[in-house]
Amino acid sequence: MQLVILAIITFIAAIDQFSFLESLYQPIVVGPIVGAVLGNFETGIVVGGTIQLMSIGAMPIGGAQPPNVVIWGIMATVFAVKSNLTPEAAAAATIPFALLGQVFVTLIFTFTSPVMNAADKLAAKADTRGIERLNYFTMATLGTLFAVVVVLGAHFGEAFGKDIKNFFDTYQWIKVAFETWGGMLRFVGFAVLLRIMVSKELWVFYFAGFAAATIIDKIGGLGSSALLLLTFIGLAIAVFDFQVATRSGSTKAVEVDEDGI
Amino acid sequence: MASKQYIDKTRGQSLDKKTLNQMAWRSLFLQGSFNMERMQAAGWLYGILPGLRKIHTNKEDLATSMEHNLEFFNTHPFLVTFVMGIVLALEEQKADTNTIRAVRVAAMGPLGGIGDAIFWLTLVPIAAGIGSGFAIESKSIVGAFFFLAAFNLVQFPVRYWLMHWSYKLGTNAIGELTKHSKAFTRSASLLGVFVVGVLTSNFGGTTLRSVIKVGQSALDIQTGVLDVIVPKFLPLVIVLGLYFLFAKKKWTPIHGIFLLGVVAFVGTALGFFGPKSADYIGKAPLDLFKDGMKIKTDKEAADAKGSTDSKVKAIEEALKKANIKVGE
Repeated sequence: MQLVILAIITFIAAIDQFSFLESLYQPIVVGPIVGAVLGNFETGIVVGGTIQLMSIGAMPIGGAQPPNVVIWGIMATVFAVKSNLTPEAAAAATIPFALLGQVFVTLIFTFTSPVMNAADKLAAKADTRGIERLNYFTMATLGTLFAVVVVLGAHFGEAFGKDIKNFFDTYQWIKVAFETWGGMLRFVGFAVLLRIMVSKELWVFYFAGFAAATIIDKIGGLGSSALLLLTFIGLAIAVFDFQVATRSGSTKAVEVDEDGI
Repeated sequence: MASKQYIDKTRGQSLDKKTLNQMAWRSLFLQGSFNMERMQAAGWLYGILPGLRKIHTNKEDLATSMEHNLEFFNTHPFLVTFVMGIVLALEEQKADTNTIRAVRVAAMGPLGGIGDAIFWLTLVPIAAGIGSGFAIESKSIVGAFFFLAAFNLVQFPVRYWLMHWSYKLGTNAIGELTKHSKAFTRSASLLGVFVVGVLTSNFGGTTLRSVIKVGQSALDIQTGVLDVIVPKFLPLVIVLGLYFLFAKKKWTPIHGIFLLGVVAFVGTALGFFGPKSADYIGKAPLDLFKDGMKIKTDKEAADAKGSTDSKVKAIEEALKKANIKVGE
């Protein structure tokens, strides 16, 4: 029974880490709930708070996948209560699960890419209900997969987490290959956007954007503000282009290449 | 490639408060179908569907709109309603689909940094830090409630306010813009193309790890050759290559995904991708094939034999030498 409730909590938390409130999944919230289910509310609070502090730096900034705090928070609480570990020991012992969760998320995001193919077909038929169902379906899948991992982990304990981590340690290249693949997939999206937007005369601006971003990238300390600054530059060029085109009053000058864009 | 345009060009129904609120609520599920290829595209479409259904009464137009709104989309999840409002104002005007696409791409880019700064770098550390204090020191559940309240009392007003504000902004600005719609479409596409160039560099993390022997010293292919031509060389080449396959060879995105999968797996097995390691200095591709199967990071390699520092130094020195040689 405990496992069933644990699965439901994981299901909700796993979905919430990307969608919905995006705050319910945090260890400080999940820890006490899991603790209460396992009969030790207070341990849950402390473990949740401990993991929360440890994971403050591990945030999805700039789209990067940090070690997974959903699995980490839940498993650490389970271990702390069941094996009577201190919060710190439980946090350390379950780090493999957090890393496993990180790989796991990358795998799920890679394997759900073909789902977009189905989405394209639904869109072509203007099937709005279909798109809604597809969205619910992928969320439910993510939640279910996480729930399975946590239930197995809670059932088989540390050994399970270590086994899987060992597999990826032994066959590290498989993990690296998946990460490499995942890192490249966005280029497909960029190429599709280009195919649709770019015309012969606009290619130079693609390279200008690429150049500006690459140069700004070398300036340390800008962090994620770089994108905003770069958009200012792009905006200035676009506005200038618009002003030149409309001021001259000639429509010929702004005739677009219908085949291009 | 010419984009499909809307058949029914009469201005769509204005969106009432209820619909706007409904979409702000749905924006919570932006990342529901997140994936590596188009990121938030399906969640984005899911979010704006209530508006699109009202605006496009012609079924074919609805399909056209849904199709172009399923293209690559990625922005900050907490600020997405800003993009929603503007795009819906354009959809309502039955603007050129190229214009809508360009505005969407241009608006989604810069929000990432702002959102990270507000939410992940400021709000969460403060709220979680104070909350954890309550939890660890007083063993009190107050910490959890404090965190949830602090986070969501910022998140929800931001989402709803941005939705209404940007829709109004978009509706007011559009009259002026549609007068010069062709020039506007061109300028908007220009900005969109510029942003895709920025994203190629910014989101392009693909690098090589190979280090080959040149005479007596090592040459790191990435830092010694590719970065010398242009940094982010591989992301640029991959995007241009895929563009070529899509535009000229009629490939579909699925083909592109599989091609990249093959490249990633074969490349990693051959030792071209993965963490850099001193062990790879001076190895020929064939040797790398054997080593590729058991990729080690520098640290692991060093733990196996000798200290980390000496290994790292060895790489640095080897690279320095190589660079000088290349320079000559």
